[in-house]
Amino acid sequence: MSTESGHRLEPHTADTRVRAWAPTREQCIAEAVAALVESFAQLRPGGEPGEPAEFDVLPGPPDELLIAVLDEIIYLIDTTGKVPSSAQVMADDGGLRVLLELAGRDRIEVIGPVPKAVTLHGLEFSGDERGWSCRVILDV
Amino acid sequence: MTADQRAVPLVRESPYRFRIERHGKMRVPGVVFATEALLPRAGEDRSLEQVVNVATLPGIVGASYAMPDVHWGYGFPIGGVAATDVDAGGVVSPGGVGFDISCGVRLLAADGLDVARLRDKLSALMDRLDLAIPRGMGQGAVWRLSGPSELDEVLAGGARYAVEQGHGVPADLRRCEDGGVLAGADRGQVGRRAVQRGLTQVGSLGSGNHFLEVQAVDRIYDSVVADAFGLSPGQICVMIHCGSRGLGHQICTDHVRAMDKSMMRYRIELPDRQLACVPVESDQGHAYMAAMAAAANYARANRQLLAEATRRVFADVLGVQMHLVYDISHNMAKLETHEVDGSPRRLCVHRKGATRALPPGHADLPDDLRAVGQPVLIPGSMGTASYVLTGVPANPAFDSTCHGAGRVQSRHQAAKSVHGKELQHQLEAEGIAVRGGSWRGLAEETPQAYKDVDAVVAAAEGGGLCRRVARLVPVGVVKG
Repeated sequence: MSTESGHRLEPHTADTRVRAWAPTREQCIAEAVAALVESFAQLRPGGEPGEPAEFDVLPGPPDELLIAVLDEIIYLIDTTGKVPSSAQVMADDGGLRVLLELAGRDRIEVIGPVPKAVTLHGLEFSGDERGWSCRVILDV
Repeated sequence: MTADQRAVPLVRESPYRFRIERHGKMRVPGVVFATEALLPRAGEDRSLEQVVNVATLPGIVGASYAMPDVHWGYGFPIGGVAATDVDAGGVVSPGGVGFDISCGVRLLAADGLDVARLRDKLSALMDRLDLAIPRGMGQGAVWRLSGPSELDEVLAGGARYAVEQGHGVPADLRRCEDGGVLAGADRGQVGRRAVQRGLTQVGSLGSGNHFLEVQAVDRIYDSVVADAFGLSPGQICVMIHCGSRGLGHQICTDHVRAMDKSMMRYRIELPDRQLACVPVESDQGHAYMAAMAAAANYARANRQLLAEATRRVFADVLGVQMHLVYDISHNMAKLETHEVDGSPRRLCVHRKGATRALPPGHADLPDDLRAVGQPVLIPGSMGTASYVLTGVPANPAFDSTCHGAGRVQSRHQAAKSVHGKELQHQLEAEGIAVRGGSWRGLAEETPQAYKDVDAVVAAAEGGGLCRRVARLVPVGVVKG
């Protein structure tokens, strides 16, 4: 566990595995979102600010909250062609409220295959007052 | 490392076949079709553990099989085959089909065009294909559907509906698995999010390992069968590899999530949540099979539209027509009848990164292929050979064989080993024109990230899974 926040991509034979860590559950989910985006896109600096978007996640165990957020992000990317340039995740009555800024194609350089789904294989998400970490495999 | 030093102990049964004895909660043994050299690298690739996990599925019969291109997936290994006995509580597992439902391969052959005649016009052809084949994020698709009601027609009618709308010729359907449309699709089992993802992607490659490749027939192993398939030496072909896009991924996601929550009701316990499953003969099982069929039809229409776009480019640039050799999926679960312990059983055969390979004489083959067997299309890694195979009698894995070269390196490792631009130069130095999607996407598909497809196909043949008909070599690649 860590008092710092971060994320990285880890090797997996066929797909993309992301690892994220942060002091809180919500920050850790936001780091996982950032890792998902970095796995396939680079945001060009400058340009217009992103378009705001938000969604809520119903209460559930931590792994279901993580999956629900990543599922929604993948859905947004696939149906809008836009990519979150920032993600803020807040606890909200047992569930989550997620605030996004979505960057359009003019600010995105696609550098790799786009994630299409979140798998349950080897899913890890746990933590306590000392910090949270997760590991999740994304299908590309 | 030899077979018996692995974390999962293997017993060598022949030069092309290894056995994992039943242990723990395995209901059947594991059988791995491979040579010693092709076996997954212990430590780096956990696919043999996944073969063991699949062997615990309720109702599984025969064995949990791994094809020679097996590699680490999620839940099922990629290159895995598992059949469950439908009338004995056998399950269907969406993870045993994969997210990209009915991902598959379509091969078109150009009439009267060989590599010598193409060479001068290759660059112009590739530029036109680059423009005509949508791929990558938010790049649209060949077919602009009128709305959700037309998507319903695609989900019900697959490639047949596409042909009825003028996107191809009736002869195409005789060369598609299931005549281009899988029966039993139910739009009502396809969720709203899947529909939204599917509306704008009919006729698009996607990304990852998907591609369109211009190829030349390099070698014919059986001229009688090749002739029946419509292939001749030196002939130019186009191989298209893609699937059901966002719609298929969303259907798999939705049904895995639902089954993950309801398995307790059926007292099913599994070592991996991505293997989530329910009995085929249950409301949830029926719902998944109906949604999976809808996604399969979407995939077949998708490949039909990409074929149409390809044909238009070949007609414009070269003035040649193209006929369909075959269209086959390698991510599917199908209800099939096979003999088990001497009696015919109704089985749900999962092929995840594995291809059905019907032998000569099979009743499901069209008349013009019945004497020679079903074409099996095996894409190699980018820049290496691909194969056309045919099914053989007495296949030991429920009429299944391999589906490709099989990864040995992670995308991460592959992208670190070479830059996309450098790889493009290497391929072009070998005479292969490349039109990429993204530099890293290209690098992730470097040939060294894969097993040697020649060795994979030789092992599949040695294991009695199929027989070689033709070898194809790349001339130009449009990368997803």
